[in-house]
Amino acid sequence: MIESAAALLRLLLGLGAVFFIGYALMALAAPDPRGFNPAERTALSFGAGAVTVTLWMLALTWWGVLFSLGLILGPLLVPAALLLLSSRGQAALTADWRALSSGCQVRLRDWDWLLAGLLAALFLFAALRATLYPIWAWDALATWGLKAKVFYISRGVDLTSIDAHNYYPNLVPLLLSYLYFCLGQVNDHLAKLVFPLWGALLLTLLYSWAGRLGLTRRQALGLTAFFALNGTVFIVHLYIAYADLALAYFTLGAAGLIYLWLQDAAPRGSLPIVACFLAGMAWCKYEGPPLAATVILAAALTLIWLHPPRWATRLGQLAVLLTGLAAGYLPWRLFAIRQNLEIGQDHIQSFYPHQLLDAIAYLLQALVYPYYFGFLWPALLLALILSGRRLWRSPRLFLALFIGGNLLAVILAYAVAPTAAQEFPSYVRATLDRLLLHITPVAALLVGLGIKELGAESGPHPDPAFPPAGPDAPR
Amino acid sequence: MLSNWKYFLSRTLLLLWGLQIIWLFWHFGPEMRDLGRRLAAGDVGSAIRQEEPLYPWVQSLAAIIPEQATYVFLDDYEAGKEIEARYFLSPRRHILLPPQVPADFLFYVLHQQKASFLIIRDRQRPLGPGAQAARSSPAFRPLDLPGPGLAFRVDPGLLGWGFYD
Repeated sequence: MIESAAALLRLLLGLGAVFFIGYALMALAAPDPRGFNPAERTALSFGAGAVTVTLWMLALTWWGVLFSLGLILGPLLVPAALLLLSSRGQAALTADWRALSSGCQVRLRDWDWLLAGLLAALFLFAALRATLYPIWAWDALATWGLKAKVFYISRGVDLTSIDAHNYYPNLVPLLLSYLYFCLGQVNDHLAKLVFPLWGALLLTLLYSWAGRLGLTRRQALGLTAFFALNGTVFIVHLYIAYADLALAYFTLGAAGLIYLWLQDAAPRGSLPIVACFLAGMAWCKYEGPPLAATVILAAALTLIWLHPPRWATRLGQLAVLLTGLAAGYLPWRLFAIRQNLEIGQDHIQSFYPHQLLDAIAYLLQALVYPYYFGFLWPALLLALILSGRRLWRSPRLFLALFIGGNLLAVILAYAVAPTAAQEFPSYVRATLDRLLLHITPVAALLVGLGIKELGAESGPHPDPAFPPAGPDAPR
Repeated sequence: MLSNWKYFLSRTLLLLWGLQIIWLFWHFGPEMRDLGRRLAAGDVGSAIRQEEPLYPWVQSLAAIIPEQATYVFLDDYEAGKEIEARYFLSPRRHILLPPQVPADFLFYVLHQQKASFLIIRDRQRPLGPGAQAARSSPAFRPLDLPGPGLAFRVDPGLLGWGFYD
């Protein structure tokens, strides 16, 4: 019992260090300490911290230094502490402390309690399911968990003894092996706590972005519950130890902030944070770099199409995001070349028209099949209808382009996949839900805009969740 | 105010969602019950692995096979047991071959990859030609471990490798 409590404490301290490092980076990036509320800053901090810690671990291996907890954390915690002692760090800490001490009282009423209760029950189940059962799901055993264990035992990014999609990016395995160093052993059930945590942070971002879109507290809470408790895919990913939940979290962080930036409603310093999240996308899954590129592309196309004031300057500002994408993509790519790792070329060999038609059918089925995402995608269709002209005359065009572009990319990816005809259906079944999970939180933002439309038509609401967001009116 | 069709559609969607939440409870019911039962019995964490016969067997193999060694594992990938064994035995180098692998290819791989152990996951299945040849070859010494499979220590010096021209 005491041993378990001590292990849990070590794990929580390890996770706390990731938050701490990310928090310092957030303070550095955001010049206005009140730009982000404490919940947002916390949710974003973990992503920034995870990217930093794992890239640092890759750098250690690059320099031939064996992992140890001191070498992983020491060189990151010291500058993070110095950053928090600087004026900008102090301002962020003070602002968050004031916000927490003054605005902590949550005023939930009737339906709010039900929604909050359902979410609490979900996370109680997911946290217990994650931490009490060892790793058992296929990809967790075959790829992510295996690499984490090997990296811990070999004290480096050593892929010589395994053949487990060695070219895949390693944010998740390295984060798990970092947690093993915190725990002092390979404890593949306790370390899985990071997955429900990631899910909770994703929902925190969704709730926050919904509030910034102008939804009331209840609407934002309803949207969050509507996303989390719709179908089985998100719930299962809270405890099976796959990298897809992490990618969905980074995607929501990046796409949500970019949407707010296009609306002129993003806090100052948002672009460097988006860049960090794009780096996280590129560094956590093989699908990450193209997904991150579509965030930038959709933002650029939206600016070109809408021609808002200073659109050309803002287009230039998107270059910052390319540095983030490069920071997440290049270190691993260069490392892989240096180590002569075989890079997978699964999807660039040929084009199979019959697979294209099949993929369209499978995708449409998956979008309406309640088992995967419940009624979220049909709700998105309703939200798009409600948007009317605003869809192509306001920044929500960005969200639609991102979602539509990625659905198209999924179909094309299946059309070029070199799979035997009899294996194609099972190949799609094994991968499609995960590919959709990456973009579903962003789809939920569009659903949120639909909820806002409905709320506005049914009359004014007295309970705004956040200060009003920037205009989303037709330009 | 909301027009009728928007009101109807949004309320229908909410109703369906509510019903779907009830279905979620039903769907995850068995997992919740299993979780509750394990919590009550304290049967959690690594103890769960002990329920799987493969795990204790692979653990006893891990005590014999050195961490730097390479082993050949005969199994069907689709069975999903090979990834478990590889995970439990990591960081040992793992080479998967199908149970029906021909003897010449099995011996070639063992020699080329300097594998020092051969593991056959399922002892109940009829042995393929490679496994049968291994069983009757003096280069393979069986490990006497109770479990679902068969394991052999390979003596590369007795493999009799060479060119026949």
